[in-house]
Amino acid sequence: MTTAAEFTGVTQAYGDTVAVDNLNLQIEQGKLTTLLGPSGCGKTTTLRMLAGYITPSAGTITINGADATRLPPEKRNLGMVFQSYALFPHLTVADNVGFGLKLRKVPATKRRELVMANLDLVGLAHLADRKPKALSGGQQQRVALARAIAISPSLLLLDEPLSNLDARLRVQMRSEIRRIQGETGLTVVLVTHDQEEALEMSDTMVVMRAGKVMQTGAPATVFTAPANRFVADFLGYENFLTQSDGSLLTVRPEHLRVAAAGVVPTTPGLTVAAVVRESVYRGVDHIVTMTATDATGTPITLVSTTRRDTLTADAGFQPGDLVTAQARDHEIVRLTSEN
Amino acid sequence: MSRKPALLLIPGLVFILFGFAIPSAIMLLAPPSTDTADVFARFGAMLTDPYDLAIIWRTVRIGVIVTVACVVLGFPIAYLLARSTSRFAGMWLALAIFPLLLSNVVRTFGWLVILGSQGAFGQLLVVLGITDQPPQLLYTELAIVLGLIQLFLPLAVISCYSAVAQVDAGLDHAARGLGATKSQTLWKIVIPLSRPGILIAGTLVFAGATTAYTTPYLLGGSSQRMLSTQLFSYASVSVDWAAASATALMMTLLVFMVSGLSSLISRKAGVTS
Amino acid sequence: MKGRPILGTLAVLGYIIMIVPILFVVSTAFTAGDALTFPPQGVSLRWFGEALAYQPFVGALLSSLQLAVVSTALALLLGVPVTLAIQRGKIPGKSLVEGLFLSPLVVPELVVGLALYQQIMIGLHQTSFVALLVGHTVLLLPYAVRVTGASLALADPAVEEAARGLGATPLRTFFSVTLPLLRPGIFSAGLLSFVTSFNNVPLSLLLQSRQFRTLPVTMLDYVQQSYDPMIAAMSTLILAGTVVIAIVAEKTLGFAKIFGGINK
Ligand SMILES: Nc1ncnc2c1ncn2[C@@H]1O[C@H](COP(=O)(O)OP(=O)(O)OP(=O)(O)O)[C@@H](O)[C@H]1O
Ligand SMILES: [Mg+2]
Repeated sequence: MTTAAEFTGVTQAYGDTVAVDNLNLQIEQGKLTTLLGPSGCGKTTTLRMLAGYITPSAGTITINGADATRLPPEKRNLGMVFQSYALFPHLTVADNVGFGLKLRKVPATKRRELVMANLDLVGLAHLADRKPKALSGGQQQRVALARAIAISPSLLLLDEPLSNLDARLRVQMRSEIRRIQGETGLTVVLVTHDQEEALEMSDTMVVMRAGKVMQTGAPATVFTAPANRFVADFLGYENFLTQSDGSLLTVRPEHLRVAAAGVVPTTPGLTVAAVVRESVYRGVDHIVTMTATDATGTPITLVSTTRRDTLTADAGFQPGDLVTAQARDHEIVRLTSEN
Repeated sequence: MSRKPALLLIPGLVFILFGFAIPSAIMLLAPPSTDTADVFARFGAMLTDPYDLAIIWRTVRIGVIVTVACVVLGFPIAYLLARSTSRFAGMWLALAIFPLLLSNVVRTFGWLVILGSQGAFGQLLVVLGITDQPPQLLYTELAIVLGLIQLFLPLAVISCYSAVAQVDAGLDHAARGLGATKSQTLWKIVIPLSRPGILIAGTLVFAGATTAYTTPYLLGGSSQRMLSTQLFSYASVSVDWAAASATALMMTLLVFMVSGLSSLISRKAGVTS
Repeated sequence: MKGRPILGTLAVLGYIIMIVPILFVVSTAFTAGDALTFPPQGVSLRWFGEALAYQPFVGALLSSLQLAVVSTALALLLGVPVTLAIQRGKIPGKSLVEGLFLSPLVVPELVVGLALYQQIMIGLHQTSFVALLVGHTVLLLPYAVRVTGASLALADPAVEEAARGLGATPLRTFFSVTLPLLRPGIFSAGLLSFVTSFNNVPLSLLLQSRQFRTLPVTMLDYVQQSYDPMIAAMSTLILAGTVVIAIVAEKTLGFAKIFGGINK
C-alpha cells in the first residue's frame, strides 16, 4: 500500500484539554478513511491539523512522504469540505468552484471547462450562475464538494459533510460521495459520528475516543471483531457479560434470542437465565429488555431485538416472565481488553 | 491573519491613545499651566458655589426630565411599530430614525421658528386671544427640554425597538390566551422582558442630554446655562483652564456615574431573573 | 394603534416633537418676506439663492465635506484592521481593547475637543484642520470598529479557511474573501461616519479657526447675529442632502440594518 498521509506521535493540547493524544495513523492512497467517534473525541482537530489550520503541539505530519507539519494550508493542496460548507457568499457557484483554479492561474477557457466538469460530477451544472444563498443545503454541499475537488487535491477532507442534511438526502449522498471517490480515484478522509455512515462508506475506519485511536480496520473487521468494550458499545453491541475468568463477552441485541425458561438450545452457545422487564413493539422489530446476573454475580441488563417477520406466535413475553437468553457461538464476540 | 493581530492593532491603538485617551486625561487632571490641585480645588468650590450648583442642578434636572420623556414617548412608538403588521410600519420606523442623520443645528432651528418672539406658537396664542403679547418661550428651560427631547427621542425609539422586537410576539399571544388584558400583557410581559433595552435607552439619552451643546446654546442662551455651555464659556471666553477642567470633570463623572448605575442595575436584574 | 388609546396618543405626540420642528424650518425657507416668521409671507426660492451665494456658507460647506471625507477615510483605515484583530486574532485583553475603541462614545465631546485644543493646537502649534481631523477620527473610530465588527461577527470564519485551503495566501484571502464580506459593514460605518462628522458641533466649535470653520459652526454663528430665512434655506438644503443619503442607505442596506449596529 502507498501512504498518502501519516501522523506520527501527534498531540494537540488546548490548555489543559488534550484534544488529540499521541496519534499514530496512516492514510492509505486512493482509499476512503473515516474518523469515527463521539462528540469531542478529537476528529475535527485531527482533520484540521492535516489541513494545516492548526499546528500540532508535538509530533509530525507527512503528506505524500514530505514533512508538512508546519506547512500553511495554502501550500498543502488539499481539498476540504467544511461542515458549514463555507461557500463564498459574494461569488457565484461557478466562481466558487473556480476560485482555486484562478489562484493556480489556469487560463479562463480551461477554467470554465474544469468548473463545468466538476459541477457536472456533482450534478449541478445548471446552477453555475447562482449565488450560494439561492441554493438548498444539499446543493450547497455539492458545490462545496465540487470546489474542493476542482483543484485536484492530493487528499479530500470532509468534516461531517452529511450532518446538516435531512435523513433521506444523507443516505443518498453517502453513495454519491463513494461514486465520486471511485470516479476520481481521490484519497478521502471523512469525519463522522454516525457509525452507520462509517460502516457503509469506509475502506478503512478509525474509531477514536478522547483523542486516542481505539481501533483501525476495514468496516467488516471492526464490526465483527471490535477490539474493546468502547468500540463494541459504539457499534451497537449492547449485551456485555463478564466471565468467571475475567474475560468479557458481547452479543448484539439482534443475535440474542429469548426462549421460555428451561428451553435448551439446539446449537452450542451461551445460555443465561433472565427475567423480562419490558417487552415493546417497535414496528420493524420487537425489543425485550431483561435482567440477569453475570458469572461474577453482578446484575446486568440484556437486550434482545427480534424482527417482526421472524417472530413466532408464542413470543409474546410479559414483564416478570422467567426466560433464557441464548446466543450461538459464532455470534459471540470475545473482547480482548476492557477499554 | 491571526498570527499577526498585533500589527493590525498598532496604528489604531497609537492613534486612540495619543489622539484621545492621553490628551483627555491630561485635560481633565492636569491642564496646561495649571496644577492638578487647582482643578480639584475648583471642583470642590463648584459643589458649594450657589451659581455653579444651580448649573449642575439644572443639568441633572433637564437630563432626568428629558430621559423620562424620551422613554415615555419612545417606548410606545417602538412597541406599536414592533408589534404592527401594517406594511407601513417600516416606513414609520424609518421616519423615527431619520432625524438621527440630520444635523442637530438644523433640528434645533425648528424651535427658534416655533418658540421665537415672532414664532408660530406665540402668534397662535395671540390669534386665539389667549394673550395680547407673545410670551417669552425661548431661552427658558422648557425650550431646552423640548429641543433635547426632539434630539434624543429617535435614539430611545431604536433602543426600545430592538428590545421589544427581541421579545417573541408569541409570548403576548400566550399571555392574552391565559386571560391577561392588553395592558396587563404590556406591563407584566413586554416591559419586564425589554427592560435591558429600556435601560440602555435611558442611559444613552441621559448621557446625551447632559452633555449636548447646540441645544442649550441656541435655546437656553446665557440665562439658562448648563454644564456644557458653561464649559465652553470657561474655555473660550474667560480661558480659565482650571474651571474648564473642573466643569469637564463634573460632566464626565455625571455620565460615568449614570452609565455605571445602569450597568449595575442590569447586572443585578440579570442575577435575579 | 386601534384599541391602544394611551400608547397611541403618546406615540403621536412623540412623532410631533420629532418631525414638526423640521417642517417649520422647511416652510419658512420658502418665504418671500424678510423675517423668520410664521406663517411665511408668500412663496419664493429667493432665500435659497441667497444662501448659495453667501460665501461663508459655501466655503464652510466645502470645509465640512472635506473634513468629513478625510476623517471617515482615516477612521476606516485605522478601524477596520482593529476590527480584524479583535474578531479574528487571538489577542489578550480583547474586551479591554474593544472598550478602549468604543470609549469616545461615552466621553463628552466637549471634553475631547478641549483636550485636543490644549494639546494639539496650543501645545503642538498645529492647524485647526489637523486638530479637527484627529478629533473627528477619534469620534468616528467607534463606528468603524463596532459596525464593521458586527458584520464580520456574522460571517462564517470557515470561509477564510476555505480560501486558504484552496491556495490563497493570507493577503490574498483578505482581499478576495474578507474584504468583500466586510463591504456592507464598511459601507454602513462610512455612511454613519460621514454624517456624524459633517453634523458635529462641539469639536468643530472648539477647534475652529478663521481659516477653517465647518458649516454647522458657521450657521450657529450666523444665527447669533442675524435671524433671517437664509438660515432656514440653508437648513433645508442640508435636509435635502440628508434625505438623499437616507434613501441611498435604505436602498442599499436598509436603514434598520445600518442603525442596528450602533446599539448592540
Ligand atoms: N479552540 C479550542 N480551544 C479549546 N479547546 C478546544 C478547541 N477546539 C477543540 N477543543 C476541545 O478539544 C476536544 C476535541 O475537539 P474536536 O472539535 O476535535 O472534537 P470532535 O471529535 O470534532 O467533536 P464533534 O463531533 O462534536 O465535532 C474537545 O474536548 C474540545 O472541547
Ligand atoms: Mg467536529
